[in-house]
Formats: sequence, structure tokens, C-alpha cells
Amino acid sequence: MFETMADLWQALPPTFQDTLWLLALLAPTFIVGGMVCKGYRPFGLIGALLWRYRWTNLVFILLIAVSVGIGVGLIAQERGLRKGSARAAEKFDLIVAAPGSEITMLFASVYLRPSDVPLLDATRFQNVASNPRVDMAAPIAFGDSYAGAPVVGTTAEFISHLAGNLVEGRLFQTSTEAVAGAAVSLPLGSQFSPDHGVGDGAEHGAHDGHVNTIVGRMPPTGSPWDKAILVPVEGVWEVHGLPNGHPPHASDRLGPPFDPEFFPGTPAVLVRAQELWSNYALRSEFTRDDMMAFFPGAVLAQLHSVMGDIRQVMSVMAVLTQVLVTAGVLTGLIVLTRLFSRRLALLRALGAPRRFVFSVVWGYAATLIATGSLAGLMVGWVAVGQISRIVSQRTDILVNAQLGWAELHLVAGFVSLTVVLALLPAFLAMSRNVLADLRA
Amino acid sequence: MSLALHVRDLEVHAPNGRVLVRARQLDVAPGETVGLRGPSGAGKSSLLYALAGLQARMSGAVVWGDTDLTPLNDHTRARFRRQYMGMIFQDFLLFEELGALNNASLAAAFGAPAERHQIRHTARTLLQRLGLTDLGRTVESFSGGERQRVAVARALSNNPKVILADEPTASLDRAAADTLIADLTRMARDEGRTLVVVSHDDSLLSQLDRVLQVVDGELKQETRHV
Repeated sequence: MFETMADLWQALPPTFQDTLWLLALLAPTFIVGGMVCKGYRPFGLIGALLWRYRWTNLVFILLIAVSVGIGVGLIAQERGLRKGSARAAEKFDLIVAAPGSEITMLFASVYLRPSDVPLLDATRFQNVASNPRVDMAAPIAFGDSYAGAPVVGTTAEFISHLAGNLVEGRLFQTSTEAVAGAAVSLPLGSQFSPDHGVGDGAEHGAHDGHVNTIVGRMPPTGSPWDKAILVPVEGVWEVHGLPNGHPPHASDRLGPPFDPEFFPGTPAVLVRAQELWSNYALRSEFTRDDMMAFFPGAVLAQLHSVMGDIRQVMSVMAVLTQVLVTAGVLTGLIVLTRLFSRRLALLRALGAPRRFVFSVVWGYAATLIATGSLAGLMVGWVAVGQISRIVSQRTDILVNAQLGWAELHLVAGFVSLTVVLALLPAFLAMSRNVLADLRA
Repeated sequence: MSLALHVRDLEVHAPNGRVLVRARQLDVAPGETVGLRGPSGAGKSSLLYALAGLQARMSGAVVWGDTDLTPLNDHTRARFRRQYMGMIFQDFLLFEELGALNNASLAAAFGAPAERHQIRHTARTLLQRLGLTDLGRTVESFSGGERQRVAVARALSNNPKVILADEPTASLDRAAADTLIADLTRMARDEGRTLVVVSHDDSLLSQLDRVLQVVDGELKQETRHV
């Protein structure tokens, strides 16, 4: 039925595969534990030692927990950020803009990061909008803001494409109406005059003569657009004293088609093809000396690829940090075992085999490691939630990072590696001079 | 039930080769109770630990029954102690966080699975015979006398043929020491166990069949009480 083991493996459900991986990674722990403790009952003594040195043990557990928590938290957070940024870009099929940096344009148009970019002129916009494969060509005109929220000029069609049905009110019908993002605090009916520019450099009162009224609100998109205020692109042009894309006799018109003669230019155009496969043809067609076209998802994938390399380095660093912390803890344990060396010597005097003493010390260390690692997962879980909240606030990208199988595998591997390392203090404790310790 | 001891030309050495204690000949009959006395640093405890097979550097012969401990490796000596010996120490050496019963039945943790139940049963019976009733209470709250009774129960929980005790009354007040002496000698004699005790306590030594002197690292004369 299955030609190779690889086929059999691939046929298994992903959860089953992950569970098997977890068990495989934990297997060394159980094998070592079974071999060390076989035939003995060291647990009462381990409990006694844990309780006797409970504060020292607590410090050891906290050290392990923090190092494990930071490791799994960072890795989960990176994955959450990657997913969140990809989700925020998924509505942006193809971006067309004047030649320049794709990454700069990606951040400016998808994530609404302030940026000075050249405009795509009327001729080129017309080339794009009139292409028979293009279903939607929405100008995206950014550069203004209000109370820190970006004010973006676009079309009603783009709003429907981005967010679906509004949760409140309606789409704009005049150049002075606006639709608020889900996280904008302005209620329906609020009026505002946009500032020219974004952030600290924004010119307050530059557009005081132009008042917009909020008439609708988008549902949450999990993207920076939740904090944006969307206005008709015609309004953005008008407020800057430019033609509004339509001839004077149709100056009240909103949305396409735009008249090239009255089209002042736009920083970016979101293009949606009529057929999915057409996107690739459109990208080739619009990638020219005087224009660039790119898939935000592809640019993001390149960024993620770089981040992926960093993630691998981070993963290795996280594991190394955890192992180093645990090595420090195990070194501490070697010192600590001297404190109870008399009692270990007593066990030998009473006739306990060396392996029993070995099992007590190893079990003691393994309990600290396992408890610290479990606590580390808890620390990681809490940290991931908190960091996600902060990153979401800072980037406006909804980051919903959660601990997953990758983190469980990491911790399982860490536990197995370190419980094997814990054989060392056990060996050293077992090898001590019984009589010297007994008479100490 | 008990074992005879025959020591021949025993020498215990320090790591630097110095002789810590020497015993040319010592014979203890099965069930006999013997005391070792002498000045501090004379080698009494070194001799006792040699009899227990705990000395790493010793020559000659220490024969319990028909088993000479001297040529045995560490593992086999430990097994011999586990099967035939009970040990009592001056400062009790209990696990403070464990209850009386768990301390007294410590050997169950590393004994053969088939013996565990018997060890705990014996430990419980011994503790009750020694007047301890609250067997679950952690021993850190026990008095010195109570602790040493727990230590005695621990030494006897594996039903040993030999009891080796190192200054068992040294950390006790007179009343507690007298109680312990009575308990220890009774439990040794009732079961016919061979008892070897290192002590400065005349009350204890006077209860034993023989007292041997260790002076300047040499096992010397003997005093017979009976």
C-alpha cells in the first residue's frame, strides 16, 4: 500500500505526525529515566530533597523557565508576526506604481507606513485601468492624516474589496465623505479636516477649508487599514488643489473611469485581475522601464525568507541559551549535591547500590528541568500574548501568536538534551567518597 | 539469625598510606554484643567502618559468617550491608523532610520489590515498639531521643543479623540515652543479633558482653562483663 516509509509518513494526519515527533523527542527522557530508576523507588527521597532546598530549587526552576519561555516566546512571536503580516497583505493582489523600491511601496501601500514615493501619471494609470484583463484598478493616494490616522484616498470599490460589507453606515457618495477603519475612534457624523503629511511632520490646518464627514465604518481587517480613514481619491486631489480625475462637467462623479486629462497621478494602484492566473500576465505586462508591478505576497515571502533564516539562527540561539542556562543550573546542582552528600553517603552505608544514589540525584535534576520547562511553556504562553498585544499596537498588524507544535518540539528536545546532561552531576555524586562524606 | 565475626591482620590505611587502625585478631561470637572504646582519634570508628566494609583501603580479613569483605568490590559490600547489617550513627542522619515511617523504611526504596512491603511492615512494628505513634509526622519536629529511635528502627527494618553503631548515645541526654541503651540491647539480644558499638558511654558499654580498647590505632585489651 505504501511504497516507502516516506509515503506512509506523508499519509499520516499532521496532528498525528506532530504527536509522533513529540514522543520521539521525549523518548530519550523516558528511556534514560526508565533505565536509571528501574527497580527503585527514589521518588520519596527526591521529594524530600526538593522540599529541603526549595528556595534554591525555585531559583533553578525560574532560571530554566525564563530561558525556555523567552526561547519559545520569540519563535512563536516571529511566526505570529509572519502570519499577521501575510494576512494583512492578502487582499492586495497586485500593486502597480512608479519605478522604485518594491519594499518601500509594499510598506507604504499595504502597511500605510509614511513614505515619499513618485506618482504614477495619467497615461500609465490609463494603461493599467484599460487593460481588458483588469477587473479593478483602484488608486491608493496616501500622504495625509488626521489625529495620527492615515487619510487614504481610494475608491468605494476598493473598500468593498478590502473589508466587505460595512459594519456601520454606508460608503462615501461625495468627495467630502469618509469611511473610518474599525479602530478609528471617530463616530459616524464626525467631521474633520485632514492634516498635510503624516506623523510629527504633518502640517496642521493645511487643509482647513476641506471638511470630511464620517459616513461609514469598515469591519476589522487585522491590518493597519483598521486605523485609517478612507476618503474618495477625488477628495484627496481636490484638497491639494489638483483636478479631481473627472472633467468639469462631471466633477461630482466618484470613482472610475477617470479622465486621463484630469488625472493628477497616484502613488499606487491596486490591481485585481478578472482571473487569478491573469495576475502573472499583468505583472509581466506592467513591469516596464516606466512602471513597476509586484505581488505584495511575493515581496513579503522574500522578506519572510530572510526572516526565516534569522528564525533558524534565533532557534539555534534560543536552544543554545537554554542549554547554557541549564548547564549553569546543572553546575549549581553539582555544588548543591555536596550539601546533601552526607545523606547520599548514608544511603550507601545502609547498603543502597550506587545506581540508586545515581537515580536520586538524576531524578532530582530531571524534576527541576521538567518543571522548569513546563513553567517555561507557561511563561512563553503569557509572554506571547503580551508581546502580540504590544506588536499589534505598534504595527497595527493583528498579531495573534500562539504556542504551537514547533515550540512543544523545541521544549521536548531541550528536555531530552538536558536530562541527558543531568547524568553528569548524578555520576559525580555517585562517585564521591562515601566514608569521607559520612564522617564530614 | 546472627553472624560470627573473625578479623585477621586487618589494617586500614589513609590515602597517604598511613595506618589508621590495626587489628591482628578479633573474634565475635554470633549474637555477642561488643563495645569499642578508646580516646578520640584512636581509630574506633575507622575500625567500625572497616567491619562494615566501608573502608576503601584495607588489608587482612574481615569475615562475617563465611564472607570475607576485604576482597569484595564496592557493589558486593553494599549488597552485604543491605542484607545483613544495620547501622546507627551519632547524629542520626535522618531525612528531616520525611516522616518517621518513611525514614525507618528507607531501605524499601532500594530493596528488592518483594521485600518492600516486609521492610515497611517491620519498620512500622519497630517504631511502635519503640514508643513512637505519629509515624507520618516529619522527623524535623522530633526530639533527639525520638530521632535516634527512628534511626534504630531504620537499622533494624531489614531484619539484619549484625548491628553496627557509632556513638549512638553521644547526642542524647542521659534519660534518652538510657532508654536507647535499653531498647538497643534488648532488640539485639531478643533476636540474637551481633552488636558492635563504638562508644564513650560507660552506661552503654556496661550493658555489653565485652568491651575492647582501641589505643593509638591498635585494637588492644578486652574487658569482659559477663
